[in-house]
Amino acid sequence: MWLRSLLIAFCEWCNNSFWGHGIRNSTWLFPFVEIFHLLALGVLGGTILIVNLRLMGLRFKNEPVSELARDVRPWMLGSLAVMLLSGFLLFSTEAVKMYGNWAFRGKMLFLLAAVIYTFTVHRKVVMADQSRLAPAVRVVVAIISLLLWTGVGLGGRALGYVTTSVGSVSSLLP
Amino acid sequence: MRESLWAEPIVETIHVLTLTLFLGFAVLLDMRLLGVAMKRRRMSEVLGQLNPWLFGGFAVMIVTGVLLFCADPIAFYSTTVFKVKMIMLVLAGLNVLIFNATVGRKIAEWDLSPTTPGGAKLAAVVSLVLWVFIISAGRWIAYALPPP
Repeated sequence: MWLRSLLIAFCEWCNNSFWGHGIRNSTWLFPFVEIFHLLALGVLGGTILIVNLRLMGLRFKNEPVSELARDVRPWMLGSLAVMLLSGFLLFSTEAVKMYGNWAFRGKMLFLLAAVIYTFTVHRKVVMADQSRLAPAVRVVVAIISLLLWTGVGLGGRALGYVTTSVGSVSSLLP
Repeated sequence: MRESLWAEPIVETIHVLTLTLFLGFAVLLDMRLLGVAMKRRRMSEVLGQLNPWLFGGFAVMIVTGVLLFCADPIAFYSTTVFKVKMIMLVLAGLNVLIFNATVGRKIAEWDLSPTTPGGAKLAAVVSLVLWVFIISAGRWIAYALPPP
């Protein structure tokens, strides 16, 4: 259970951080950070979508996947960084509550899986010589990527609607 | 929609997540218009490849947006931020029409060039600024609406 105590300690640290306090106690800071999160969602989702559509042979058919991926890569990495930073700030306003939120936990697991997948399997297939890959492989790799990222997005939408806490965490709530 | 527990969150989720398709592709297009992304690609090709999905995304945004509005039209209309958002949407539409009628018509002249004409850059900047504010306004509506 060391992981559990570590995570709870981390959540408490976030909750008590100056940015956690600052955003929580301001009327306009939370929506302001949320808007950055939302704008970066559009850009990140757009870059992931276009590369996967290309991988499935649905868009930009007459050029290599790797070239399109390289073109949009800075935008993907930039928007991912904005997503992670703004997400961390939003999380810090109610970190301990989020620890007990099943939708938030699901979102973090999907995020971890999506990021690892994107920078390993997905990247390898995108950068590979396409003539050596079966079309079915490309389609499956693209669909897994879309499913993982959709999971992250749905988790993000769901966490605002969740009102109950998982397990005994509710006793920790302020 | 008011009577269902699930309808509103589902429609709202579709509305928000379609931003990836709509806003994401609009940003990519604007970046090409500015000459900062996909530079080696012909402008007409980028437009041709992105537009069908961009318009598809836009259609989903409109349909889900109208549904959300219809759940409580008076509450929406009573907020200033909703009216501002609608005006900005019209401006964004006008921006596309003006682009198509001017620089867009002469696309053959600058199709291959990585540097784009001033008119194209202007259209891209206007588009980006408008969408940033439209999305901000959209988020703001949720805070401006009276609590259910």
